[in-house]
Amino acid sequence: MLITGVASHIGSALAARLADHPDFDHVAGLDTRRLAQPPPGVELIDADIRDPVIDTLIPRARVDTVVHNQIVRRPGPGMSSRAMHDINVIGSLALLTACERSPTIDTIVIRGSAGIYGSEPAAPQFFTEEMSRLYPLRTRFQRDVGEIEEYFDNFARRHPDVTCTMLRYQPGIGPRRDSQLTRYLSAAVVPTYLGFDPRIQLVHSDDALDALMAAVQRPVRGAVNVAGPGSIGLTRLLRRAGRRTLPLAAPLFAPAADALRRLGLPPLSEDFRRLLRWGRAVDTRRLADEVGFTPRHSTPSAVQDYVRRRDGTRSARAAA
Amino acid sequence: MARASDPIEMASLFLRGLRSGLDAGLDLPEAAARGAAGLPRGAREGVRAASRRFGGDYGEDEWGYDGEFADAVEPLAAFLYERWWRVHVEGAHKVPAHGRALMAANHAGILPWDGVMVSMAIMREHPLPRQPRFLVLDWAFRLPWVSVAMRKVGGVAASPHNALRLLEQDELVAVFPEGVKGAGKPYGERYRMQRFGRGGFVEVALRAGAPIVPVAVVGSEEIYPKVGEAPALARLVGAPYFPLTPTFPWLGPLGAIPLPSRWRIEFCEPIETASFGPDAVEDRALVLSLAEQVRETIQQKVLENVVKRGPAFL
Repeated sequence: MLITGVASHIGSALAARLADHPDFDHVAGLDTRRLAQPPPGVELIDADIRDPVIDTLIPRARVDTVVHNQIVRRPGPGMSSRAMHDINVIGSLALLTACERSPTIDTIVIRGSAGIYGSEPAAPQFFTEEMSRLYPLRTRFQRDVGEIEEYFDNFARRHPDVTCTMLRYQPGIGPRRDSQLTRYLSAAVVPTYLGFDPRIQLVHSDDALDALMAAVQRPVRGAVNVAGPGSIGLTRLLRRAGRRTLPLAAPLFAPAADALRRLGLPPLSEDFRRLLRWGRAVDTRRLADEVGFTPRHSTPSAVQDYVRRRDGTRSARAAA
Repeated sequence: MARASDPIEMASLFLRGLRSGLDAGLDLPEAAARGAAGLPRGAREGVRAASRRFGGDYGEDEWGYDGEFADAVEPLAAFLYERWWRVHVEGAHKVPAHGRALMAANHAGILPWDGVMVSMAIMREHPLPRQPRFLVLDWAFRLPWVSVAMRKVGGVAASPHNALRLLEQDELVAVFPEGVKGAGKPYGERYRMQRFGRGGFVEVALRAGAPIVPVAVVGSEEIYPKVGEAPALARLVGAPYFPLTPTFPWLGPLGAIPLPSRWRIEFCEPIETASFGPDAVEDRALVLSLAEQVRETIQQKVLENVVKRGPAFL
């Protein structure tokens, strides 16, 4: 059992859970970042996923299941978009090369992104898994995800004995989740597109982890959407979260969002800006029917839970 | 607390209560509730509903339909329906009262007023009213405000995937198979049905096993009499076409006010498709002949109703 990107929140939580589980005897985690509290029973490998050394590491570890959890959705502090592209594309390629040489592997689960569908004005209101190429891949991240999916598709075709599950995650939300969306939601003033109120779909961070766990235990071939059922209008989401909005006419949005960065607004990627204008939702029937996992939170209830717990910690902090 | 009676007194009472609430450190919705305490019951409830909405506490279904919003704009639609267009409806009872069904109607103009009026006709004249969803030309979903209002009252982007999913959820769906060719019809060609594309709506109905209800709408094709086009402007704003009417764009936004023609909507006998089975979508001849049958039915009923209606604007 090998987990890449184990130092991320979801990576370490998954590692801890698998190490506790009787069905998985050995759990190894790959990351260059340090873990503050390494989960007990997890062997940590301090190596870069792009490093050719994993070519020998992985076959030697005789792993049967690989969870690829190192797809970067937004550049972290001090990370250029070039480095992000490198980790995503070159990292996935290096991982697959290592998998080629490991005859023991029978399952690969990838935490991918529903960003591949893009955000389009008149798109199907619920993308199903076969609609990933309905529109051209417009942004850099979309093209990266498209490339990663292609690599894994090719690998799966050439190795019919290996089950490759490509999980397409919608943006996550949760009290401890640090994503582009939660940062956007915690800015003092939130820019929106004037006259637009897109349908947004999210996955609760607990469900994100449970879905990954479910896919490891019951992998299926091909792509599976992961999201809380339903959708929520951006306006309703921001009102629930108690945010003050700054509606901007579309041509002014990108420059104004850049200017607002001085006031503490996180940088908004092109994908995220498109999401704020056109929205996106996916169909989650395959996740329920084939992987056998039903999220506990629908999209509106994930938002509700996020707001409730955020306000809870805030008032607890104020009391202390 | 004192009860106010005339509107000015009521407003000042509300504002005074609101300010004292804000000064006391309450949230805006709570302060508004305090300000509203002295108002008569109707106004109090209005303020409560508004502040609830302001807190994001309202419902939307997964398609973005917002029942409260739809109720709030209903008076406008009712005014258009009763006074402006004086809609006369026939055969509303032929629309299935429950389960999936696909209504196909003739279409003109870029704004889907005909979709809104077909919805109104069913909500008002059907023995068991139900809220239909209507498929709207893609381009409208690029527009600010229009796109939001549309989805909140039950509009859905025109895509076969959307139509199929709605039917599978046993919804009543309205489509305009003429598509953009219908929307761009010049005034001189009004009520002449355009080609029905490749019959995509028939494929969707077959796949879902939903009956097709042809609907003839008369009146909608006179509300924006298109006398010309400005292709350069259309390219500039990215629209499928840029209509020129006697009032638009010369009068600016006022030119978007539709003309008060007299309307008739007739719902025809449903065409059953379930017996063909979902595999029949492969049968091009069947798909095209069904599409043609629907087109002829609508064309014939439209012409009948134009005659029955008499002069368009009186």
